[in-house]
Amino acid sequence: MGKIKILLTYLTAFLLILTLCFILPKMMAGDPLMALYGDEALVVMTPQLQAELIERFALNKTLFEQFVAFWGALAHGDLGESYAYNAPVAEVIVKALPWTLLLVGSAFIISALFGILLGIESGSRRGGRLDRSLLTCLMLLNGFPDFVMGILLLLLFGVLLAIFPLAGAVTPYSGETGFSLVIDILHHLALPLGTFILVRIPGIYLLTRNSMVMQMEESYIMTARAKGCSECKVRYHHSARNSLLPVLTLIGTQMASIITGALFVERVFSYPGLGNLLYESLLNRDYPMIQGILLMMTLMVLVINLLVDLLYTRFDPRVAHA
Amino acid sequence: MNAKVNFNQNMVAEHVTDQPVLQIRGLKVNYGEKSILQGIDLELTPDQPLAVIGESGAGKTTLGLSILGLSRGQVSGEIAFKNRDILALPLNELQKLRGREIAMVFQSMANALNPVLKVKDQVAEAAQVHKSFLPKKNMAQWVEDVLVSVELDRDKWSAFPHQLSGGAKQRALIAIAMVNSPDLLILDEPTALQDPLTTATIIRLLKKSIQGRSAIIITHDLSVAAQLSHWTAVLYEGRVIEYGRSRELLQKPRHPYTRGLIRSFPDMMRGKDLQGIPGRSEWLQDGCSFQPRCTQSISICKDRQPILQGDKRHLIACHRGGVIPLLECRNISTSFGSTKVLQDVSCILAEGETLALIGESGSGKTTLARTIMGLVHEDGGEILLEGKTVGKRDKNFYNRVQMICQNPMESINPGMNVLQAVGEPLAIQKIGRSADRDDQVRKVLNAAELPNNKIFLQSYPHHMSGGEAQRVAIARALALEPRLLIADEPTSALDPSVQEKIIRYLLNLQEKKGLALLFISHDIALARKVSDRMAVIRNGRIVETGQTSKIITHPRHPYTRALLEIAAAGSMCSMRLKS
Repeated sequence: MGKIKILLTYLTAFLLILTLCFILPKMMAGDPLMALYGDEALVVMTPQLQAELIERFALNKTLFEQFVAFWGALAHGDLGESYAYNAPVAEVIVKALPWTLLLVGSAFIISALFGILLGIESGSRRGGRLDRSLLTCLMLLNGFPDFVMGILLLLLFGVLLAIFPLAGAVTPYSGETGFSLVIDILHHLALPLGTFILVRIPGIYLLTRNSMVMQMEESYIMTARAKGCSECKVRYHHSARNSLLPVLTLIGTQMASIITGALFVERVFSYPGLGNLLYESLLNRDYPMIQGILLMMTLMVLVINLLVDLLYTRFDPRVAHA
Repeated sequence: MNAKVNFNQNMVAEHVTDQPVLQIRGLKVNYGEKSILQGIDLELTPDQPLAVIGESGAGKTTLGLSILGLSRGQVSGEIAFKNRDILALPLNELQKLRGREIAMVFQSMANALNPVLKVKDQVAEAAQVHKSFLPKKNMAQWVEDVLVSVELDRDKWSAFPHQLSGGAKQRALIAIAMVNSPDLLILDEPTALQDPLTTATIIRLLKKSIQGRSAIIITHDLSVAAQLSHWTAVLYEGRVIEYGRSRELLQKPRHPYTRGLIRSFPDMMRGKDLQGIPGRSEWLQDGCSFQPRCTQSISICKDRQPILQGDKRHLIACHRGGVIPLLECRNISTSFGSTKVLQDVSCILAEGETLALIGESGSGKTTLARTIMGLVHEDGGEILLEGKTVGKRDKNFYNRVQMICQNPMESINPGMNVLQAVGEPLAIQKIGRSADRDDQVRKVLNAAELPNNKIFLQSYPHHMSGGEAQRVAIARALALEPRLLIADEPTSALDPSVQEKIIRYLLNLQEKKGLALLFISHDIALARKVSDRMAVIRNGRIVETGQTSKIITHPRHPYTRALLEIAAAGSMCSMRLKS
């Protein structure tokens, strides 16, 4: 019963967001044709060319007709044609998606893992040396915007030390394959990934630690110790199980900000993912592209949040039966 | 049903001997600057459960946790469990001990069980931690047996804690403690927060659980202590101040603190209202820790910490040896000419207590009062005040002992106005200056529910009604703040509402200052509400004496029974409405 309700909620949210996806780009100031051709449009644009383009992108139809066409195309998996790339939007997105997934996915997993682990160890040793040094370090890191962190890392490791490449996801035209390709990809991934991890860990760490500190005071911890449980078991099996509930919620909501963060980080490192693509499409007022990317990101955020919600009911029986 | 496990067969501790299992010596626990336990010495033998009682904050739970090595303060002293010092054991040895040899049943508070784990798994974990070698199947069976034995309904085994009632949670907590059949069981407030029916079933279960092993019951519920323990230790500010057989200690407490605890506990059979302990815990460093709240403290109590001493069956830490007998009458005989009015009358009245003297007119009640006051000379016997034989009544005697006479009109000098009459004892004792005395007079008049304005202070006995005169007499007796007040039918002339106020004032004085009351009355219903002990007197002899609650519920002498029947017949509760 609970699960069906959750699924329905997500479906409604999804449909609403799709509608917004359609409306928002239309409300942007400026003419798409102007944007496409830039300042040259004033010179180059002839009435014939203009009519041709309008026809091609269905810009002459009413908003409602455009809306119907939008839904119809979506149903077929057709996200439209990109003005700027002169290619189907879906195709362009599919090319960029793996890079974003690689970056965001690994950043998500690694920051969650380390944030939680550090939080557990730190919180269960409240006031100890480890706790104090971790707390100081991560408090310092906390609050750095992603792009600032990205630029700092880029300057330090890319420019000054020059141990990591400055841009891109692979070395262009190197034609590497197999293991050396993997190494090349990781080499390029290191800085943007590092940026994400450094920016994301403090939030997760601080919440986990705080939650652990509170849970370690709960009376069931005493019950567990009195059973003869080892400290490790007390920490991970008892306290952490309860401490992670709010952290899970945080991670779910963070997912959305990680994806928007990708916009900046990918831009800083010219990483060929969705973020970079979105940035360029925004400059071009490439409506179908923007719609497609926003749709994709929405889908990702929704799926992650759905997973978190479903997981939550598994982790906290009080919610499942509420 | 056949799955039910018999505790005696499967779960009794293996070695039962009379050797002490646990010896605590000089246990001290500090949390930073604050000292929680200030030197505890206790011994525990198998099959002789020990109850630890005391107010919250006295260090009861800290004591229990220290035995498991779980106290988070700085611990010093020695806790010898089966000849191993728990305080010296390394953590991994301690972890092997916890749950397996020493287990604790926690109070089923919020979150005593992990909220995200199933009850069954939490019980199983307690076993798995120590019996990882057992095959899974046997383990499951083992856990099931324990769950059956604590009578937890089968449909609750796979539930989460928030789905269980307080009673069911408590059963689960008992199961966790019992699953390894520990040698020593520590129960921490095992029935707090439970309703009476659940408490009764939990107590039955706990009785079964502690059979054949050593147990410590930490509780503030005296009835739990009475039902589960053989021995009781009373903890006050981190020290044991009284220790003895539970039955004896709870029925005849000797330490004023223990008496206060028992008086504040609502006992079903007691008629007297709840009386507390004045003040609150102050954790002073010098002297007896209970001294600031004690009504019988003397100078030594402020200077030196008393040592827990006595014979092995009853130890007490009090410089005065516990509640002192304030008044003791030994074999008093009095006669008027050839008429023997009192024959061999003996009674004891302790500090801060009320002894009700019950009997019909002419039974010798008033004569006994007058004999004590020295108004009538006794033929034989001895009267002791604070342990010293009373000879000639002097000023010092009347400073401590005062009397309210039955007939106020006769007892107040008709030539004195209220100010003079009430202030007279103060003047005789030469206490304070005239103005101070007048203030004291106004204060006691107010306490006796009388006006203290100028007009009233200037009035004479013949201006007053009987009730007013009686209250003036009461005010006069209280003016000196005596230690012992002999009240001879003090309120028989008063209407019930004023009587209630005056009785309440006297009982408040008793609670706050330790006033001892010899309450002479023929009204059993009133005596029951006022007295701790009762003496029934007939024809100059005391025919029955004992705790008021016992005499009311189980009178032994036919005369007492007759008095009780008459009193009960006058009860408005038993009156039937005529149709």
